[in-house]
Amino acid sequence: MDAGKLIFIICFLYLPLSFLTAQEEKVGISGGLQTEDHFSLTEDVNNTWHEYRLDLKLKAAFSDKAEFFSECWIRTWGLPNVLESADLTDRDKVVSMNIALREAYVDIYDFFIDHLNIRIGRQRIAWGTGDKLNPTDNLNPYDLENIWDFGRHLGSDGIKAYYYLDDFSITLVYIPLFTPALLPKGSWADVLSPPIDLPAGLTLNNMSDSITLPQTSLLDSATIGVKIAFLLFDFDVSLSYVYGRDSLPIADKSTLIAAGLPAVNIASELFYPREHIVGADLAGELFSVGVWAEGAVFFPEKVTLTTDSTAVGGSIQKDTVLKEPYFKYVVGFDYTFNNGIYINVQYLHGFLHERGPENLHDYFLLGMDWKLFDGKIKLSPLAGGVEIDDFTDIAGNYAVFYSPQISLYPIDNAEITIGCIMIDGTDSTTFGRAKNNDEFYLRMKYSF
Amino acid sequence: MLFILVMFIPAYQGFCQAGSPTATQIVEKMDRVINAPKDQDFTVKLILIEKNGDTRERIMSMKQKGSDKRYVKFLSPADQRGIAFLSLPNDVMYIYLPAYAKVRRIASHVKNTSFAGTDFTYEDMEAINFSQKYDAQLLRKEDNSYVVQLTPKAGIRSDYSKLIIWIRTDIFFPIKIEMYDRGGKLYKVMTRSDIEKVDGYWVAKTSEMKNLKAGKSSKMIMQNIKFDSGLSDSIFTKQYLSR
Repeated sequence: MDAGKLIFIICFLYLPLSFLTAQEEKVGISGGLQTEDHFSLTEDVNNTWHEYRLDLKLKAAFSDKAEFFSECWIRTWGLPNVLESADLTDRDKVVSMNIALREAYVDIYDFFIDHLNIRIGRQRIAWGTGDKLNPTDNLNPYDLENIWDFGRHLGSDGIKAYYYLDDFSITLVYIPLFTPALLPKGSWADVLSPPIDLPAGLTLNNMSDSITLPQTSLLDSATIGVKIAFLLFDFDVSLSYVYGRDSLPIADKSTLIAAGLPAVNIASELFYPREHIVGADLAGELFSVGVWAEGAVFFPEKVTLTTDSTAVGGSIQKDTVLKEPYFKYVVGFDYTFNNGIYINVQYLHGFLHERGPENLHDYFLLGMDWKLFDGKIKLSPLAGGVEIDDFTDIAGNYAVFYSPQISLYPIDNAEITIGCIMIDGTDSTTFGRAKNNDEFYLRMKYSF
Repeated sequence: MLFILVMFIPAYQGFCQAGSPTATQIVEKMDRVINAPKDQDFTVKLILIEKNGDTRERIMSMKQKGSDKRYVKFLSPADQRGIAFLSLPNDVMYIYLPAYAKVRRIASHVKNTSFAGTDFTYEDMEAINFSQKYDAQLLRKEDNSYVVQLTPKAGIRSDYSKLIIWIRTDIFFPIKIEMYDRGGKLYKVMTRSDIEKVDGYWVAKTSEMKNLKAGKSSKMIMQNIKFDSGLSDSIFTKQYLSR
C-alpha cells in the first residue's frame, strides 16, 4: 500500500472521529469482514474469484439536523500477479490490494425549510421497485465487477434534495461529472458484449479499442434526475426523469486491419451516448401478495457505427445502431407462506446492458428462500432464471441459469454461504455465452 | 399491537363504571388505556430463548405515535443493525435494508412470519385497536380479571383464529394473551410482568411470548421509556427509515 492510500485511510477513519470527539457528538463504526472464493466447475477447478474485503462504515451525528456517513472497502482481490522475479518485490503484485470509497456524504435535514433534506457527497441513489433489477435506476453507474450481484452500483459524487409532505415527495438529483460503469473481469467481460459478425471468409485475430470519455464540462458530463412519488389507491407510485449518459460504452467506429488474411484485427472506438429516460414504478399488494412493476423509456442520442474494412478489401459502411426509443420493464410478486418459505418471481424485458428496441430480451427469474432451525439455516434451492431471445425459435435462442445456495448462521453476525452457478443455452443469448462459466462459491462474512 | 401498546395504561382513577360492562365495552376501554399516550419512545431488548436454553439478543429502538404508526429500528446485532420497519394505517408497511440502500414496500403476507427471528410476528408488532379488528365475547370473570375472547371481524386478515385476553378489572390492563392458530389450537401465550408506573402510565416492562408449537420463547424487556415527548410526524415517513 502506498503512502497516499495510508493517508486516505487515516483521514477516513480518524479525522471525523477527532472532530466529533471534540464536539462530544455521537459516532459509530461498523462493518464486516468478508471472504469470497469462486471455483470453476471444470476438471482443473480453477479459482476464478478471490476477494478478501474489509468493509468499514462510519456514521456520525453532528446534531439532530446533520449526519455524516461513509463506507469504505479495503480489499485484496485476485491472485498474485507475478511474472518475473522483480515482481516479487512489488507488494501490489504479490498481494493485490485496492481501496474503494463506496459512499461518503453529509445529510442536512430541514434545510432552510421543514421537510427539505439535502445529501451532499458520494452517494448511492437507488430508484425503482423491482428486486435488484431496476430499469429506472440510472443515476449511479453499474458496478458489474461481480456479475451475479445485479443490484450493485458505484456511488456518485453529487447533490440530492428531497422534499416530502404527507404521502407526496419530490427528489432532485444533480451529479456534475460522469463516471463510467465498472465491467466484469475475466471470462465474464465478453458476456455483455454482442457477438461480432465478420464478413464471410475472415477470422478474428485480435480486438482492441479506445474509449472517449465525455468532456468534463457540465454540459457534457452532468446528470440530472427528478422523481415525484405519491400514494395512489394504497399503491406507492413514482414518476421519474433522468438526463444523463449510458454508463456502458457503445462503439461508433470499427476498423478492420489485415493480420495475415484471412485473419483480421479489429480496432474500435467507443463512447457513452447521451439519453433521456422517463420512468415509472409502483409497489403494493393484491390479496396479501406483494406486487411491483417498473418501467423506463429510453430516448438515446443517435449512434451511427462506421465500419471501415477498406484495409481488407471491403468498404466503409455506416449503420445506425441506436436511434429509436426503447422500453425496459420488470414486473414481479413475492409471497411468504406460513411455513416460512418465501418466493419471489420477476419477469424482465431488457437486461441492464441491452439497448435498442430490437435487442431487448426476456427473462423469467425465480427466487425461493426457506429458513430453518430458527433462521440458522437458509436454503435457496430454486434460484435461477430463463432467458428467451426469440419466442418463435425458443430452442435456438434460450439460456437457463440455476444458482442454488445454502446459508448458515451459526452465531449472530456470522454467515457462511455455499452455492453454485450453472448455465446452459445458445450462444445468441447473454447467459448462453457464459455457459462455460459454471462455478461454485464459498462466502464467509462476519459483521461488527 | 399485541405486545407493546398493552404495556401502558394511564393511572387515573375511577375508570371502572358501576355494573358489569359488556365485552365490547371492556375491549374499548382497554384500547383507550393502552393507546392513551400520544406517543411512545423506548428501547427494547429482545431475548430469544431456544429449546435447549441457548439465548440470543436483539436490541431495537421503537417509536409510536397514536395507535397506528410504528417505527422500529434494529440497533444490534451488527448484521441486522440499521434495518428499519415502518407500520402505517391500512396495513401499509415498509422496510429499509441498508445493504440495498432502498426502502421497500412489504405486503401483508409477512404478517404471519417471524419478526427478526423472534416468536413475535409482524402482525404481533402492528399498531392496533382491538375493538376495531375483533369481535369480543366475555367468557368469564375471574378474581382480578375479565377473560375475553376476540375473533377477527369479517374481512380482517389475521393469522389467529381467536385471542383470549385476561384484562385486569381495576385498570383494564391486559396481562395475558392466548393466541390460537387458524385450526383453533393454542399456538402462543404471552404474559407480562414487572408492571410499574412511569410518568403516569402503567408499564409492563417485561413480556414473554411462549411458542407452544416450537417449544421456545422470546422475552421483550423495555428500557429508556419516554411518553408524550412530542415525536414528530416526520419520524413516521419513508424518508426517516433510511436515516
